[in-house]
Amino acid sequence: MTLAVTACAGGAIAQSTPVSNGTSFVPGGPGATLYQPGGRPAAPSVSGTTLTGQKLTLAGYRGRGLVVLNFWGSWCAPCRQEAPALAALASHFQAGEVRFLGVDIRDSPASAQAFLRDYRIGYPSLNDPGDEIALAFRGSVPPVGIPTTLVIDRNGRIAARIVGGVSYDGLKALITQIARPA
Amino acid sequence: MAGPGDSPVTGLRIPPGAERPQVPATGTAGPPGGGAPDGGAPDGGPRTRPPARGLRLGLAGWLRWGWRQLTSMRTALVLLFLLAVASVPGSVLPQQGIDPAAVTQYYAAHPALAPILARLSLFNVFAAPWFAAIYLLLFASLAGCVLPRTFRLVGSARQLPPQAPRNLARLPLSASYRTDLPPGAALESAGQLLTAKRFRLRTGDGWVAAEKGYLREVGNLIFHIALLALLGAVGMGGLFGYKANRLLVVGDSFANTVTALDQYRPGRLVSPADLQPFSVTLNNFTASYITSGGQRGQPSSFNAAVSYTAAPGEPVRHDSLRVNHPLDVDGVRLFIIGHGYAPVFRVTDGTGRVVFNDPVPFIPVEQNGLTSDGVIKVPDANPTQLGFAGVFLPTMIDVGGRLQSAFPAALNPRVSLLAYAGNLGMNSGQPQSVYQLDTGGLHRLPIAPDPLAVGQSMKLPGGAGTLTFTGYKQWISLAITYDPGQLPALIAGIAALAGLLLSFLVRRRRVFVRAYAGEDGATVVDLGGLARSDAAGGFESEFAGLAAEFSGTQDGRRFVQVVARPEEPGSHDHDSSVRGASNGDPARGEASLRDPALREASLRDPALRDEEGE
Repeated sequence: MTLAVTACAGGAIAQSTPVSNGTSFVPGGPGATLYQPGGRPAAPSVSGTTLTGQKLTLAGYRGRGLVVLNFWGSWCAPCRQEAPALAALASHFQAGEVRFLGVDIRDSPASAQAFLRDYRIGYPSLNDPGDEIALAFRGSVPPVGIPTTLVIDRNGRIAARIVGGVSYDGLKALITQIARPA
Repeated sequence: MAGPGDSPVTGLRIPPGAERPQVPATGTAGPPGGGAPDGGAPDGGPRTRPPARGLRLGLAGWLRWGWRQLTSMRTALVLLFLLAVASVPGSVLPQQGIDPAAVTQYYAAHPALAPILARLSLFNVFAAPWFAAIYLLLFASLAGCVLPRTFRLVGSARQLPPQAPRNLARLPLSASYRTDLPPGAALESAGQLLTAKRFRLRTGDGWVAAEKGYLREVGNLIFHIALLALLGAVGMGGLFGYKANRLLVVGDSFANTVTALDQYRPGRLVSPADLQPFSVTLNNFTASYITSGGQRGQPSSFNAAVSYTAAPGEPVRHDSLRVNHPLDVDGVRLFIIGHGYAPVFRVTDGTGRVVFNDPVPFIPVEQNGLTSDGVIKVPDANPTQLGFAGVFLPTMIDVGGRLQSAFPAALNPRVSLLAYAGNLGMNSGQPQSVYQLDTGGLHRLPIAPDPLAVGQSMKLPGGAGTLTFTGYKQWISLAITYDPGQLPALIAGIAALAGLLLSFLVRRRRVFVRAYAGEDGATVVDLGGLARSDAAGGFESEFAGLAAEFSGTQDGRRFVQVVARPEEPGSHDHDSSVRGASNGDPARGEASLRDPALREASLRDPALRDEEGE
């Protein structure tokens, strides 16, 4: 019935596909998966063009703090709900500490740019019209719904995944926990 | 499903609780359920107890009874029938997994009925709990029936022929001759002949028993094992397979990953990482329609030109999807299950910015003209969010002031929209369908829904913005199915058929030889033959040939006569089957001595009796 709404997370997809990435995760709340430092899957090398036309690679962020990678779409209602929290957190953390990067899924540039303007999102977003970036994560932590947010540690390893919308406090606590030196 | 004969244990059983007391335990009937718990005789079975005490059969007894019921052929047939009946709604009602758009249409057409049907899982029959219950019960029933039979068949296929009966003349086929060879030598020569003819031999004191046609058992065994394999393959498809849908506009690409799929229904053991990582781009789509006659407007052919890669970095390949020609990537099959139009709109908001520029898939509501419904949501328009709902008419005509589409091809494409402004309800985070406009927070803008041609615009009142209909594209809806059990199921099905044929065409037959010294000093050799009665004929002549051959190689003297006796004592219409294959001598009058019970007892081993029961 609802073609795109089912791809929008928090719903049936997230529930029907439990994470099966081995033994090293502990559930960190509804929709959140936290990976212990020893068992963090490596983030794939991802590159693409941002919505503003710049070339960007995820590998370029390596060693420069944590990366919060957010899969979103302007058509996705939970993405709209979490957008203010992401925008606020991106300005709360120093750029050398935590960097934010979006991956725009199943969207058109006009709608996506209107979204970024509307929510005053300053960090870049890769355009992913053919789902290549989403596909690149299949070997590590495949996004199972939109929005999905990944927290990638300093070594380029995925430390946490949140399926569904994030809250300001929840994501902030998660980032702080992961950023803390082990 | 369970072969020609069902095992005796799977017959109709009377539930223990329903059994009548045959001998009252006491003179007066006690209260129901009354009586001392330990008062019964230790050997007293449920048969001699009052009904209420049947419960004392205990859990194990009930379980055994239930298992027998479940694995009976009757239950299997009832379940099979139920399964067929349960699939009917799947072909009558639109199915979520096959055509979600049709379900949406059904909701729109039957707003009161649809939620009730949905609650009964009638839009998703094959994933419904009650369907799974039938399927699992059938699975258990078949497995429980077939598995023990398989073991028995293995035993039967390995079994030696039974001992030769004493009086071979009582067998359905018999013959006798005299020879000068001593009895031992005559038997040995007969045994050698039978071995040469690939009979399985068993020898005893003064007799040889031979049996042939074990391929029948092999066929039976193949049938049963294939049946189990078939069940396993179907189950495997359910565990490791998945189904998905994806709507794809011409020019767009998608990858087989969960976020890119509109509908995704994985098997129990499928994780998102298991999806085959192919990417598909729809380069072009053409549909042809019948232009005249009663079927005018019906599609005559589709062709979707796609390019795809099996995995990132693999070479790009090209293919086309047509009717009955799905795309096969890595064992995953992609079918076209629908198509339609996606008009392209550009929306400029009140601040003068382009906030939307996209093809919007409209969903057909009828097939003859492909009149399609759709909505446009512009959540990032300022100062207020904008929404549009309307129809796309591929070939618009005006019939008495009412617009409709006369033909599915886009000969005169028009779009007619109602405009809304306000709150689309998207920012609260509640997921909503992209095909429905939640008008709860919206108000309709006072502008008439004039049909727009390509290039025409609709200027919204109050400076809310402008919508332009800039063109249209076509879309296809793809069903993506992966069923690793499909090929094994096909192979198992063919094997089951082959096994069944084998078991029908090959008859199991036995030949017995007894040799003893006759009154005149010569050796009398008696032959007897027994074949399954339900298989095709031919054993009589085979037996006659054998008898002649024995007699010939052993320098047999005088007559060899073969007497065929009707198998069933009561079937007089088989009298004509009394034929001599060589020089018949009806004077022997063998047709008189018939003792079916004795014959049954002496000739049939348990394995065969099991088979011949029905």
